[in-house]
Amino acid sequence: MNLKYKNKKITGILTVLPEKEVKFDDEIDNYDFRRSQSMKLKLIMGYDKRRVVEPGITVSDLCIYGLNHLFDNQLLKKEDIDAIVLVTQSPDYIMPGTSYIIQGKLNLKEDLVCLDINSGCSGYPIGLSQAFMLLDQDEINKVVLLNADILSTKVSINDRGSRPLTGDGASITIVEKDNANNTIYGTVNSDGQGAECLIIPAGGFKTPSSSETAVLEKDINGNFRALDHLYMKGDDVFNFVQTKVPLMIEKLLGNAECNKNEVDYFMFHQPNKFILKKLADKMDISYEKMPNNIVEKFGNSGSVSIPVAITFNLSEEFLNQTLNICIAGFGTGLSWSSMLIKFDKLDFCKLIDFK
Amino acid sequence: MKNFESEIAEILEVETINLSDELESFEAWDSLTVLSIIAFFDSEYKVTLSSEDINNAETIQGLKDIIKENK
Repeated sequence: MNLKYKNKKITGILTVLPEKEVKFDDEIDNYDFRRSQSMKLKLIMGYDKRRVVEPGITVSDLCIYGLNHLFDNQLLKKEDIDAIVLVTQSPDYIMPGTSYIIQGKLNLKEDLVCLDINSGCSGYPIGLSQAFMLLDQDEINKVVLLNADILSTKVSINDRGSRPLTGDGASITIVEKDNANNTIYGTVNSDGQGAECLIIPAGGFKTPSSSETAVLEKDINGNFRALDHLYMKGDDVFNFVQTKVPLMIEKLLGNAECNKNEVDYFMFHQPNKFILKKLADKMDISYEKMPNNIVEKFGNSGSVSIPVAITFNLSEEFLNQTLNICIAGFGTGLSWSSMLIKFDKLDFCKLIDFK
Repeated sequence: MKNFESEIAEILEVETINLSDELESFEAWDSLTVLSIIAFFDSEYKVTLSSEDINNAETIQGLKDIIKENK
């Protein structure tokens, strides 16, 4: 589906990453594979270090830490926030929504929209899309988009398929009205028949967590996992990405009448280095224009990975230049989504550690 | 176009292969190898494989047949 937004802009991006770093090399012995095999995997996938939360730290903690950073540094005023949209798959509670927890703890005004969206790796463009739609309201002038996940707590320590790439984090994106008469182009697609490709089978209302759902079982690839753990069907996800994403971007750029060469950077979700390189090859885009270094440095934090890639790699560019940026997210749902945005110079663009 | 046999040998980390070799007999055989074969087929032959297709192929000849079937 093609989407279009008029007179909206992003004015600042902050990323909050937990300080705790876990190294792939330190976890190799947890996996039922030869060391040489795991070292090859490390090289090709770009596994090395990832950031994870300490036990007890939640998504609201990460978001509140980042918002307080913005308040303290006069980068955002509490009273200016008209809506908070939180994209997460690891909420503090099943009920209420975590956006209310954040509002309550920060003592934000009552005249506020709070919205939680259950979306994963495609959740950055999906969250932006929701923020842009809210801004069509007369009384909504500033939306705070929060993307946050702590799925490292849901991967089995014996699952070499998912654990070495999973990281935690949060990002805050400020979205506002603009009068520059610009157009932002977007696409959203969904395929619920692929729901089981990326899933945490137990812990919801259908299959509540129990002693049975905590039992580790070995799969055909040699990974041990329980129903309470995150499961990724790697080959299906790979094929899904290689098939759908290039077509989506072709459609997006076609709709915007934008040539591939006019795009400064392709800021794509960061599942692993391998998949991004194959994607760049297939789309005939240079690796410089499509950064792929986030998993090896911080891990894949779901919908937060695009803000991490921006704030880590390109903060100088985003602060000092106008940029034509193509964003794409893809993953659980299955779902794939993209946006083409002309960025004005941002007011802030940085990455901080949660301490 | 890359040579099928030499590319598969490289993915399997051996010098030479026989078409009758069983895929699972290779020391390097694991989920990453499967992914590498999926990626090779996608980029080289525009063929989308699943890991089931690869398991069903059983041998290197079986893999090669998939290319023919998709032409």
